[in-house]
Order: sequence, then C-alpha cells, then structure tokens
Amino acid sequence: MSQGSAPDAAPRLEAWEVFRQEKVGGSMTHAGSVMAPDAVLAAHYAREMFSRRQESIRLWVVRRADVVDLDDADLLQPPLDRSFKKPGGYVMRDKLAAARKQSGQAKPRQRSG
Amino acid sequence: MTTARRRPATELDRVLSPDTPHATALAELLLAMADDEFVIGFSDSEWTGIAPLLEEDVAMSSLAQDELGHAAALYALLAGLTGTTVDAIAYDREPAEYRHCRLLDHGRGDWAMTIARRYLYDSADVVRLEALVAGSWAPLAELVGKLIREERYHRMHAETWLERLARTRGEPRDRLLTALATLSTDAGTVFTPLAAEPALIEAGIMAAPFTTLETEWRASIEPTFAALGLPMPEPVSDPGRGRLDHGDAFRWLWGEFTMVRRADPGASW
Repeated sequence: MSQGSAPDAAPRLEAWEVFRQEKVGGSMTHAGSVMAPDAVLAAHYAREMFSRRQESIRLWVVRRADVVDLDDADLLQPPLDRSFKKPGGYVMRDKLAAARKQSGQAKPRQRSG
Repeated sequence: MTTARRRPATELDRVLSPDTPHATALAELLLAMADDEFVIGFSDSEWTGIAPLLEEDVAMSSLAQDELGHAAALYALLAGLTGTTVDAIAYDREPAEYRHCRLLDHGRGDWAMTIARRYLYDSADVVRLEALVAGSWAPLAELVGKLIREERYHRMHAETWLERLARTRGEPRDRLLTALATLSTDAGTVFTPLAAEPALIEAGIMAAPFTTLETEWRASIEPTFAALGLPMPEPVSDPGRGRLDHGDAFRWLWGEFTMVRRADPGASW
C-alpha cells in the first residue's frame, strides 16, 4: 500500500529551516530549524516552535536539502579590490576637486539662505 | 453554590445566568463537552517531557493546552448558567460525577493509543461542533465558532500521524491496530444521547440528535479508514451508559488533577 508521500519503510527525520515574518510587509527572517519526517509535520512543528505564542504572522518552512548553499570564498569574497562598489569607496568630492584643478575652474561660492 | 459578582452586570450576564431559557438543557450539554475536553487535555499532557520526538513534545503539550483552554471556556459558560465557578466544576466532583465519554476513560497508553484516540475524538468532536455552530444561544455559538477554527489544526496533526502509523509496516501499524481494537466499542461514546437533546433541538441550539451525528461521523471517517486498510470502530457497547461508569484509569487521572486542589480546598493559587 504505497499511495501518497508516506513510505512503507521507517521514515527518516530531516532538517527543515524556518523563516518567520513578524508583521505585514516585514521580511522573512531565519528563525531556526526543526526535525521532521515530512512537510505536514514540518509545518506543524514550525508553528509550535516559532509561533505558538502568536509571535509570527507567516512562516516559510524549507527542507534544508532544498536550500542552495553558497560559501565559495572566490565567489563571495574575491581577492581584487572592489571598494569602489561601496558608498564611500568612490569619493565624489575628491574626484570633483581634481577635475576642477585640471580644468582651472574655481569652486562655486557656497550659496546661503 | 455562591454567586460571586465583583463587577457590574454586562450584556453577557443577562444571557448567562440560571434564568437563561433552557439553562438545564444547556448545562447538561456543556458539562459533557467540557469534561471531554478537560479529560483528553489532561491525559495528553502526560506526554510532556517524554514524547518520542522533541518537536512532538512541544506539539502534543500545545494540543493538550488547547484542549484545557477549550474546557475552561466551556466550564465558564456552565459556571455562568449554574451560578458557580470554573474551579469548583472542574475539581470539586467525585470521579463518578464526571460526564466525559468512555472513549476518554482509557489511559494515555503508548503513542499509537494516543494518536488513535485523538483521531477518533477529534473527528467526532468536529461533527458535534458543526451541529452547534449555528445555534440560537449566542455565547455557545460564538465559542463553538472559535473552537472549530482551532480544532482544524488538531485534526491535521491526528490525521497525519494516523496515516504515518497505518502505512508503516511492522511495529507502528501493529500498535495502531491494537489501539483501535481496544477503543473500538467506545469510539462512538462521544455521541452518547443526552436527556436534554429534545429541548436543545427544539430551542434551535443543536441542529440534529446525537444518533444522527454519530452516523455522520462514521461516514466521515470511513474513506480514511478504507484507504489505510483499518477496521472501522464497532457500534458502541451499552450506549445508554456512554458517559458513566468511569474506571480505574480515570480514577487515577482524577487523583492527579485534583491533587493540588484537595491539598488545600478553597486556596487561591
């Protein structure tokens, strides 16, 4: 009798990651994980662990095995300088001063009022 | 029985007193329902700390708390109708005075027994609740509306576990079959006829008699039992006494849940 998703052999527990949303429009933040043999129980346990006191309005429950895990240093922390991508990594004031100097333009008087 | 009124009368009080129409009939119904919820809640709470899985420990404790909460809400309506207090109703009776159904007299047992009993009770309870949700007495109809929403979640849990145990060959399925056999002739006692039924039906509080509801219940679980190859519960043995003759397992449970109260009757905690 092998209908549906439940196996005839002893089911294995696997890890599920749980994300929760605290209020409408909020982001889904990682809350923790539960062990469960299938999606129905994983959802049930996630609600127990992360919302039984009504602290969440939404939960996402994902098999850990389905999560695409990236931890490649070459990908996330590549060696060449990329500070120009950051705010403050490309200082406009300095670039503008150098351009004015090169073209002989004075800095405009600061307007008041 | 004392009537302790420490606040001004509200609209609810005007419909929640011994003068409420059909108070006696409602009281019999509420006592049966509340005792059912109280006994299954207390019984299942015995898994706290020793459930087979950490997550199940939390889930089962939570389910048990929900049932106790439902019992408290039903006892509160009853207390209003009879002019007494929730604690007095819940704790100050002798074992023979409780009116829960015989299905819930069985001890907690193993995990399969707990699941089998939860499935049989929850599937029956939803039929009973559906027959009350559109009733003419607002306090009960409103409460039943809330209970139905919480019970959906209980049934989800019971159904998934019933299926899991039934489909796993070997010990899980064997223990489930043993549990169902033990509970078989008590399963339908949730629908034990009450003396108050004619009055409740005439008043529009209950939509149909318990005999009709039992038939509905059996029809509702039949597809699941057939799909899982499980034997359907048999007709109730001695149906007239379905809420009486509580045995040793319940006496023990009563000792547990009244222990604190009996240690110092009348104390506030």
